[in-house]
Amino acid sequence: MPRWILYLLLVVTALTLIPIGLIYRSSRSAKDRPRVQVVYDMDQQSYYKPQSENPFFADGQSMRQHPAGTVARGRLQGDEAFWHGTAGADTVFVEAFPLELTRELVLRGRDRYAIHCAPCHGPAGNGDGLVHRRAQALAEGTWTPPTDLTTAAIAERPVGHVYNTIANGIRSMPAYGPQIEPLDRWAIAAWVRVLQTARNATIDDVPADVRATLE
Amino acid sequence: MAPDHDDLSRGPGHGATETDKFVFPKWTNRLREASAVLAVGGLLYAVVLVTGVFSPQNTAVGYAPEQPVPYSHALHAGKMGIDCRYCHNTVETTAKANIPPTATCLNCHATVRTQSELLEPVRRSAETGEPIKWVRVHDLPDYAYFNHAGHIQSGVACVSCHGRVDRMEVVEQVQPLTMGWCLECHRDPAPHIRPVEFVTDMEWRPEGDARELGARLMQEKGIAPSTDCTTCHR
Repeated sequence: MPRWILYLLLVVTALTLIPIGLIYRSSRSAKDRPRVQVVYDMDQQSYYKPQSENPFFADGQSMRQHPAGTVARGRLQGDEAFWHGTAGADTVFVEAFPLELTRELVLRGRDRYAIHCAPCHGPAGNGDGLVHRRAQALAEGTWTPPTDLTTAAIAERPVGHVYNTIANGIRSMPAYGPQIEPLDRWAIAAWVRVLQTARNATIDDVPADVRATLE
Repeated sequence: MAPDHDDLSRGPGHGATETDKFVFPKWTNRLREASAVLAVGGLLYAVVLVTGVFSPQNTAVGYAPEQPVPYSHALHAGKMGIDCRYCHNTVETTAKANIPPTATCLNCHATVRTQSELLEPVRRSAETGEPIKWVRVHDLPDYAYFNHAGHIQSGVACVSCHGRVDRMEVVEQVQPLTMGWCLECHRDPAPHIRPVEFVTDMEWRPEGDARELGARLMQEKGIAPSTDCTTCHR
């Protein structure tokens, strides 16, 4: 066989490796454009999905707001204490939880507190969450330090006040009502009580039989 | 005009070397086998190329579109440790882990980084009420039904499908999200099941064997993922 054919074969074989290398590189790198769909199948069907655009409505959104004057099922806010943390028509905050305090509820509160409150108020409630620390590190003049939830002044507030603060916000703290369901707001309020109790507890609050483990 | 190949008619007498060039050399006898090898090889090569180019590992994995606001999960979820559910607060109860409304951004950014140019679209959205047009990264085909709540409540972690979002400056798809990939887990979910309280924990590792723990949790909670067609194609 003439030498040049051999060389040509070698070169062609070497060249075939280039596309494979390119594919490998492309499969390992980030792409900013969606995949090209050769066969479209029914991947994108013409119905409106949550959070998608919809030119039919004036606001361009396919998800609709509740029509004015309507109440969704199960959302009738008849129980003033449960839904608003207030007693009667006036705005006196309730002192007692308007629902049974169970271990389950308190643990749910711990869970929800960690998600929604701890970023600012800190896991122990003393106001040193990581978001607050970063805001301080950035020296944001407009940032209001989160309240230490474990001080006596806060601990003395009626629990309805804590609930209302979660639901509607207070001073520079925004309302968390849109993010947290009423039952979870009460659960968080219960956990805030736990944090307050824990911070201000003395050795006398610890049951006698486990005191030894702390000493 | 007589064609040139009539040269042959000149007949013998020009010497052996002259006629040799009209006889195929011996190595050409192998051309038949060689062409068969080439054809098979070429076909294999084409298969490799096509599968490579169109494989979801190439087309879907690594999709990281530019967003209208360069929101960094690495900073918010990673460095500041904000739980996934602070923003994606519907993920435990509904099918979709919705993109948060602008109001959620403003919980902090009403007072933090209020002059930042990068946050201009957020302020504009808050003013006009027009949502920010975030670009969807993880998009299943419309004929596939997926429910976040069901998976979260069974103890399938965010990280199992979305990867280390807490390390991503720009969110990127890390799993192919193909039917085969879904089925891998539906057929053998045990190694991917963890206690529900740790679903959003990106760094959680089981104390012992993941499969053992997963199998126990599955039995306790009666988790038995279906592989029926109608589970996802309904």
